[in-house]
Amino acid sequence: MSEGDAPELVTIPRSLVDEMVAHAREDLPNEACGIVHAKDGAPVTVHRVTNVAASPYRFEMHGMEQIRLEQARDENGETLFAIYHSHVASRAYPSQTDVRMAFFPPGEVDQEPAYPGTLYILVSLAEEPPPVHAYHILEGGVIEEQPIEIV
Amino acid sequence: MAVQVHVTSVIQRVVGGQRTISADGATVIELIDDIEARYPGFRETLVGEDGKLHRFVNIYLNDEDVRFLNGGDTELSEGDEVSILPALAGG
Repeated sequence: MSEGDAPELVTIPRSLVDEMVAHAREDLPNEACGIVHAKDGAPVTVHRVTNVAASPYRFEMHGMEQIRLEQARDENGETLFAIYHSHVASRAYPSQTDVRMAFFPPGEVDQEPAYPGTLYILVSLAEEPPPVHAYHILEGGVIEEQPIEIV
Repeated sequence: MAVQVHVTSVIQRVVGGQRTISADGATVIELIDDIEARYPGFRETLVGEDGKLHRFVNIYLNDEDVRFLNGGDTELSEGDEVSILPALAGG
């Protein structure tokens, strides 16, 4: 998307959003995290990943589970659509840590992010019903909201 | 001995976009140095000047996190699979 274009609406099935919210609730008091796969560009499945940080303030995905999911995507002709995680008491907006960690080495924001083109979906449990928002985290550490339509 | 090394995300960029490379080494660190010889910058992507793996790099030997084995000194056998990926993390 070039600068100045209106972001296109991305459609996400309600069942997938419900699954992310359910996961967020079940993992309280800690943050929950996972991956959404796409088929032909459209999100199709939510995959929970163990938060090895097991913290209300941080998440870190279990690396082998990530690798297994990548293998499954390859076998099924699917792609990485989104990385999701919950904020247990703050809004559904990427934290400074989220932005730093979207790059590798962490905080080296003047390059392509680690997962270019992948959405970051945030679920907030700070209010009811839990807000769910999606973002692009771009070179320079820029956060751009991706409007979503939940159907 | 030949080991298959699977890399993801940013680490693929260091090895010319490949997802799997074959490399040799008796230990994880020797394996990394073997790849470094072909792809300069590979080692510093993963290992600090102190020789320890960077905090946000994960290396698995088969299904085991090498941090719970012997770190960079973990010994490798013919036919092992090594996976290297940056931590997917946030706050």
